[in-house]
Amino acid sequence: MKLIYRIALRLSAVLIPLMALWATLFYFMTVDEINDEADDALGDYSELIIIRMLAGRELPPLNDGSNNSYSITPIPREYAESKSHIEYYDAEVYIPEKEETEPARILSTIFCDNDDNYYELKVAMPTFEKEDLVRTILFWIILLYFTLLITLIGVTTWIFHRSMRPLYDLLQWLDRFTPGKPGSPVPDNTNITEFHKLNQAVQEAADRSLVLFEQQKQFIGNASHELQTPLAILGNRIEWLLDNTEPNEKQVEELFKMQRSLNHIVRLNKTLLLLTKIENGQFPESSPVDIAALIGEQAPLYNEIYESRHIDCHLDLPDHFVVSMNDSLASTLVTNLLKNAYVHTEPGHRIDISLHNGTLTIANDGDTPLDAAHIFDRFYQGHKKEGSTGLGLALVKAVCRYYNLHIEYRHANGRHYFIVTWPLKRKEK
Amino acid sequence: MKILIVEDEPSLREIMQRALTQEHYVVETATTYAEADAKLAAYTYDCILLDIMLPDGNGLHLLEHLKQQRKRDNVIIISARDSLDDKILGLDMGADDYLPKPFHTAELLARIKSVLRRGKSGGEMELRLGNVSLEPESSRVRVAGSELPLLKKEFDILLYFMQRPNHLVDKSVLAEAVWGDHADQADNFHFVYAQMKNLRRKLTEAGADIEIKSIYGFGYKLIPPTE
Repeated sequence: MKLIYRIALRLSAVLIPLMALWATLFYFMTVDEINDEADDALGDYSELIIIRMLAGRELPPLNDGSNNSYSITPIPREYAESKSHIEYYDAEVYIPEKEETEPARILSTIFCDNDDNYYELKVAMPTFEKEDLVRTILFWIILLYFTLLITLIGVTTWIFHRSMRPLYDLLQWLDRFTPGKPGSPVPDNTNITEFHKLNQAVQEAADRSLVLFEQQKQFIGNASHELQTPLAILGNRIEWLLDNTEPNEKQVEELFKMQRSLNHIVRLNKTLLLLTKIENGQFPESSPVDIAALIGEQAPLYNEIYESRHIDCHLDLPDHFVVSMNDSLASTLVTNLLKNAYVHTEPGHRIDISLHNGTLTIANDGDTPLDAAHIFDRFYQGHKKEGSTGLGLALVKAVCRYYNLHIEYRHANGRHYFIVTWPLKRKEK
Repeated sequence: MKILIVEDEPSLREIMQRALTQEHYVVETATTYAEADAKLAAYTYDCILLDIMLPDGNGLHLLEHLKQQRKRDNVIIISARDSLDDKILGLDMGADDYLPKPFHTAELLARIKSVLRRGKSGGEMELRLGNVSLEPESSRVRVAGSELPLLKKEFDILLYFMQRPNHLVDKSVLAEAVWGDHADQADNFHFVYAQMKNLRRKLTEAGADIEIKSIYGFGYKLIPPTE
């Protein structure tokens, strides 16, 4: 939700009870004031009538055009004593001239004349229709509410956008920001202290992250490069021993073991460098690569290498599937997937490789599902295989990420499935 | 044959020098860019092994200097940075080969021989040991003048050993060199053995006087005829 919507919603929400409260108060105050005035008038009127009556003078005419009315009823003494002597209340009265009932304010009072006769005087004065008043107030309140709301939101939005412009500039900048890629500096054309401070903080964080990203990227690369020379020295010295000291069988065996371990480090190092290079995007040159041909070429090679496992490998490939990739990365992708399948298939089991509509599926038998969440992580190995770098699938993943290929691992019916999908079918015959 | 090793790491320089001296090359060394530059200006070498990452300068500039002096010394770039850019740049600037670290001594020797041979014979690349000759480009092998038909892998193995006579080669190293990157992690090396068996049989049947000997079952060594 955008901040301005949230502000607008809150403003509307706060205004509703505020206006309701105000409308209620306004209504009661109005009614109170009107009744007060009416009661005063009724009091004067009743006084006039009582005075005239007691003085025996002529009473005011009932029909004087003011719609005011009164009635004088003799009442027994007991009744008079049981009632309060003055009472105001609202009631509907019938007005004969209009031939309708109207709401009226009524004053009921009791008096007695010189002969101790008790009378009840009711003076009625038509007042206003409460419902009409309520409706009118409601109408205007609602109108006021919306007018106020629209004005308020309009003004708020305007002010908001005017004053928040540096924030939106910053947000736009953040949208364009890619970690690890140097871009334009954070926009900071504001003299508001808070925004200036925020911009500075973002700029500092971005700079720091860029430096860290670069350092981290370079670290593996540098460490691997620095290892190359000592590795060369070790390897060459082992070779020198082998070629020049006429070692006996035991010594040759030991030296070869050392050499193999060394080769393992060399391979690990090379793979880390390759990963770094892929992640640095240092494989810009792409050429058309026939993935079908590549698999057709590599699979028999692995069949030969792992001949003793008697793995049954079935290929279901089109004649050609040409994609635009760096050929060494294409080969990295295919060989690592193939090797993974061969290494993790029990002797005598089966591998199926199919390539259709830009989807490469490599399926091999295996009872235990692998941890799909971590299988593409560096150095994640379900069970340690001698000589394995633990980087094969990480490489596969890196290549896929580099070319926006989708890679997925699934386990179903006692088989592992590695599925690579090319985003667009480029060419297939 | 005179070779200049330009390498700043003493231990590597020493072992390279030892290996090359053993192959009867005359070896000189330079440890810095300045020293190398001075030696190159003063002397001529048949082959220069050039580490391009030197403490006081980029070895690639030495190639420029050589070019300016119109010298035709063979140069093999040795680099810890196995980068395609460096490789292309180096070869463009007149280097003859590019060998990334870490390398095997045998590989280095093979590359030196190959570069020297190319320089001498103007492109002809025949390898000859005893009565066996091998043309890498046309994939032809002759034993005592008559052609020996070999399968692809047998040929690759023979080529590998012809470039490394007298070197003891681990089966796993051979597997990686001939079968590709992942072959050295195989469970066993029966597949190497099978090919090797055929190759050795063919060589013997053709009357070759070189022999690829199995050493304690761990590796192989090509023994050239003693002269």
